[in-house]
Amino acid sequence: MVVDESDNDERQHWISRAKELAIYIEAGNEEQVNRLLDELSRRRETNLFQELGKLTREFHEALNSFRLDARIADLTQDHIPDAKQRLGYVISMTEQAANRTLNAVEGSIPLCEELSSRAHSLREQWSRFLQRALTPAEFRTLSRSLDQYLSRAEDDTVRIRDSLSEVLMAQDYQDLTGQILQRVVSLVNEMEEHLVRLIRVSGQRFTDVPIPKGSSYGTVEETDGPVVHGPHVPGTAPEEEVVHGQDDVDALLSSLGF
Amino acid sequence: MKILIVDDFSTMRRIIKNLLRDLGYNNTAEADDGNSALPMLQAGNFEFLVTDWNMPGMQGIDLLKAVRADPKLAKLPVLMVTAESKRDQIIAAAQAGVNGYIVKPFNAVTLKEKIDKIFERVQS
Repeated sequence: MVVDESDNDERQHWISRAKELAIYIEAGNEEQVNRLLDELSRRRETNLFQELGKLTREFHEALNSFRLDARIADLTQDHIPDAKQRLGYVISMTEQAANRTLNAVEGSIPLCEELSSRAHSLREQWSRFLQRALTPAEFRTLSRSLDQYLSRAEDDTVRIRDSLSEVLMAQDYQDLTGQILQRVVSLVNEMEEHLVRLIRVSGQRFTDVPIPKGSSYGTVEETDGPVVHGPHVPGTAPEEEVVHGQDDVDALLSSLGF
Repeated sequence: MKILIVDDFSTMRRIIKNLLRDLGYNNTAEADDGNSALPMLQAGNFEFLVTDWNMPGMQGIDLLKAVRADPKLAKLPVLMVTAESKRDQIIAAAQAGVNGYIVKPFNAVTLKEKIDKIFERVQS
């Protein structure tokens, strides 16, 4: 263990004073004993005050650094609840998109099955017709069935086509939730950066902790150029500042003479 | 008609591309932000631009301004398709010279309506 030089001096001082004290006690020199004891206790008090002063200073510095990092308070008070709200919105959007897709698929499967099974039975009848195995009455039935099938196929393929478009459009959730998630990732990056900074100032041992790089998407507060907000998450901005749907956009633009 | 679709999300580019194909526009190209879109616009004979707003690199509003500032591209019809729904943003886009503004999520009918309207106005 390396002993500090001032610690060594201090110890030497105490040893010599203790020896001196022993000599005075043995000699019965009460006056000197009292003087020495006073000096020693004064010295002890001074050390105590110095330690206390040091502690107070450290405490003060720690408090100041907390104040410097007021952004953390800001982040925890406003941005974390905001991020939780955004993540909740992402869950509900992905759920909606999944249900929209599943509904479209569930609606289309029976149509495909029906078209397929009807085609199959018509095909059998048609083969018999080609083999000239149908009676005139059977042929009339086949011809009516064919007519019904064609018009049904026409309608049902349109319905399936619409369902496929619905599935296509439902995929827009990836863009919309992606934009929201990018903002949350930026927030987490910023939070990490501030926490690391806090660890740095509150403990010398952590001076080697690297400061993480922020997201390439820009932080929540700082962006270059015009401020972008991403998809509107209900409850995160005053409702009167945002439009609600395309009709609102059209009304606003036409009020501008568009 | 040659159309450029600009969006940082490839899923959204695919959706718009499919919708445009349904409307009969088969000749489309894609870019993922303004920086890659601008040279494409300057080099190719695009007749229509569909762009997002919020993209890393050059954003849609800056692409719109760059298009309007370029004498060769100044008259190019621009449709913005974006999740940005603040009133002041829509006003800013209108002031920058956008021809149409669609908020996401949108549907095929809205896209068709806006495109038809833009061409009606361009032709008259």
